[in-house]
Amino acid sequence: MGLEAISFLVLAIITLSSALALVLSRNIVHSALFLILSFVGVAGLYLLMQANFLAAVQILVYGGAIAIILVFGVMLTQREDMSSTNLFNKQKGLALLVASVLLMVISRVIWLTKWGSITTIKTTVHNIATVMLQQYVLPFEIVAILLLVAMIGAIVLAKKVEKAS
Amino acid sequence: MKEVVDQGIKTQEIEVNFGPHHPSTHGVFRMVLTLDGENVRKVNPHVGYLHRGIEKLAEKRTYAQCVPFTDRLDYICSMTNNLAYVQTVEQLLDLEVPTRAEYIRVIVSELQRIINHCVFWATFGNDLGSQTALMYGFRDREMILDVFEELTGSRMTYSYMRIGGVAKDISDEQLKEIERIVDYMLDEALPEYHNLITGNEIFQARTKDIGILKPETAIDYGVTGPNLRASGVEYDVRKDQSYGIYDKFDFDVPTRDKGDTYSRYIVRLEEIEQSCLIIKQALNMIPEGKVQVKRVPKRPPDGSTYSSIESPKGELGFYLVSDGSKRPYRFRVRPPTFIHLMALEEMMIGEKVADAIVILGSIDIVLGEVDR
Amino acid sequence: MGALQNLFVNLALFFRESMVNIGFSQLGIEATMDLVAGIGVLAVIAISALVLIYVERKVAGFIQVRLGPNRVGPKGTCQTVADALKLVGKEDIIPDRVDKVPFMIAPILFFAPAVLAFAIIPFGENMIPIDMNIGIFYFIAVCSLSTIPIIMAGWSSNNKYSLLGAMRSLAQSLSYEIPLVFSILGVVMITGSLQMSDIVAAQSDMWFIVTQPIAFLIYLIAGAAETNRPPFDLPEGESELVAGYMTEYSGMRWALFFLAEYAHLFIVSAMATTLFLGGWHGPILPSYIWFLLKTGFMIFILIWVRWTFPRIRIDQLLSLGWKFLLPLSLLNILITGVVLYII
Repeated sequence: MGLEAISFLVLAIITLSSALALVLSRNIVHSALFLILSFVGVAGLYLLMQANFLAAVQILVYGGAIAIILVFGVMLTQREDMSSTNLFNKQKGLALLVASVLLMVISRVIWLTKWGSITTIKTTVHNIATVMLQQYVLPFEIVAILLLVAMIGAIVLAKKVEKAS
Repeated sequence: MKEVVDQGIKTQEIEVNFGPHHPSTHGVFRMVLTLDGENVRKVNPHVGYLHRGIEKLAEKRTYAQCVPFTDRLDYICSMTNNLAYVQTVEQLLDLEVPTRAEYIRVIVSELQRIINHCVFWATFGNDLGSQTALMYGFRDREMILDVFEELTGSRMTYSYMRIGGVAKDISDEQLKEIERIVDYMLDEALPEYHNLITGNEIFQARTKDIGILKPETAIDYGVTGPNLRASGVEYDVRKDQSYGIYDKFDFDVPTRDKGDTYSRYIVRLEEIEQSCLIIKQALNMIPEGKVQVKRVPKRPPDGSTYSSIESPKGELGFYLVSDGSKRPYRFRVRPPTFIHLMALEEMMIGEKVADAIVILGSIDIVLGEVDR
Repeated sequence: MGALQNLFVNLALFFRESMVNIGFSQLGIEATMDLVAGIGVLAVIAISALVLIYVERKVAGFIQVRLGPNRVGPKGTCQTVADALKLVGKEDIIPDRVDKVPFMIAPILFFAPAVLAFAIIPFGENMIPIDMNIGIFYFIAVCSLSTIPIIMAGWSSNNKYSLLGAMRSLAQSLSYEIPLVFSILGVVMITGSLQMSDIVAAQSDMWFIVTQPIAFLIYLIAGAAETNRPPFDLPEGESELVAGYMTEYSGMRWALFFLAEYAHLFIVSAMATTLFLGGWHGPILPSYIWFLLKTGFMIFILIWVRWTFPRIRIDQLLSLGWKFLLPLSLLNILITGVVLYII
């Protein structure tokens, strides 16, 4: 077994077990922290595939920004006893259905993809830039405008609150 | 907890306790702040943690024995406390003080003012998070304390003023040293203070337009001293009631119009400058002679009297009632900072909670005087 | 001079060759070299933290007209070692109602991003531990992780002061990360590469502080805020919050927070050197000496600011970040872009 395979196994175990712990943990803050660990594990898998730009984005956006907002929100709801804040409910049947549909979709994508061997790419940054800013420039800009609108909306909402108080 | 409903947004007021053990309350002051978010809605000062019953104790001591009690009122500036008390007793006795003693009194009480404002500058800087200010202010205070130690044998509790004069004559070397210190304060220390703190953007952003005290409100509360002058009222006991020999000196009374924390700060620094000028004049004019009257009557006649001086913190007054015995029948202090604390609520309401500490620092309180 | 110029590079080569001679496998050599580099980085962090604490206290003493540490060792140089030993010997107090696991691992995790960031710092010519092609982006990503341990510590301490301190620190880090990244972007636009070695090489003629002065200032302010240094030390310095998220910590766990803060200080200064002050470029002296000199200068500026400035208020801090630094950094990017397009 090569170094790469060992690394893959370790990262996969970290990612999967922390994802499992996220679901099973009864303390919602612990769940949020496991989520971050899971994100970092995925970033490690990206690195293994030499997609280092993507890995950094994964850590920056998911581990650094999204997870923090999540934890921020969760922590504001602090209460005396945190041990039963992430409970199970009785919708197991529905959950099974959704999960199996998702599994089917992913399996199909995996099945249809033509898998080739990785040719060593020196820098992924330039390629991503070409794809995003030339090939798919229109969707890219639309997403940017969408985010801008969301940001302005948030500011307007926050302003209103300030005026009222 | 009271719920505040304001245009559909429900917020809850919370009570926060500051002190009595808190680095920024300058002693053992406690205030209970009612906060709506970050804004101060109500201020409730609690005093009395340092109460020693000085006013009552004084009734069981002779007039001369009361002088050390006054050291322990405002322990930052014992000299001016001594002066206010002995001046009241002298008024009761109708006693003339030798001219040289009067000059020495002016010199040491102006030095005391410099000390007080140095300590104010230092601790105010510290309240704002600039620890270097603390070191600089105390460094300069230390030089004057050395002079006082040589003169009186004590660094803080001098009991130097006596009824009918001062305890000990001042030597020429000491006067020279005082002149050196005054020159140093004017030429080096004050420019340094302004360079380090006054001109700083962050300092100005944190002090300007904060904790505004309107002149009418200040007068209504009985606020005196630099705090009143920062609100634009030109009232200085040294000028307006001219006790001792203050009418012989030429000096300005610095004032500001705004009444915010920055004005209170800058007025004090300008007072250091004026005090230096007064000391310089006094050093040139000081005559030779005695410093203590020969005989001080032990029993003042029946009656009561009030007299006040411009202490570094404001108008410090003593009210004494005599029943003809050796001991005062009533010994009452008018402490300036106790009165300033009462006006605290006017300055703090509506301000941010982080500014509460700055405002408290800017009125320059000493708890020894508040609680007595 | 030539031998000194490449002292560490030649040492590494020597190690590699001798291992080949002994007959190590390729994998073994790579693993050993990585291990050696890792140990080197850890040594640099430990030594720099020890030295920096001493320097900070001495400079503070100088600024405040007092002596600073002067008892332990010659001129007090062993003071930090003595302090560290004392902290190691302290009882590891874990309060009763804390959330144990996050409480215990938070200081260690706080230290980790600091160590990770050292991997891409060019200490000298050919002296980058790992010269990856996304170097600067890696730095930003790793630094963004350092906020999570802070909230872990603040939340798990089960203490109002800790939680409030953590919240403040979080708000501060999030709002200053954006101007920080945008200020770096100007440099990246000129270089056209994210690789650290390219950024340093692009400054062989002219330092970026000349072409990007606004970006440098924004970086300096945002960097001081990111590392929670005064005048932006609200999360722990504000007397109303006791010690912020560190309130419940004691002994070696507290010391880890403390050391990590100095590691962050070193990294911010080292990055400023690399991005704006020409990295290791400099005449006569060996490259790593130049790097250390420039970094030391940056550290001195940050210490200087710390001991002479009053503390800013939280709402002023946030409005400075959002209303001033952010538009200014965007403007800087715009101007840089336009100028680059014209040239």
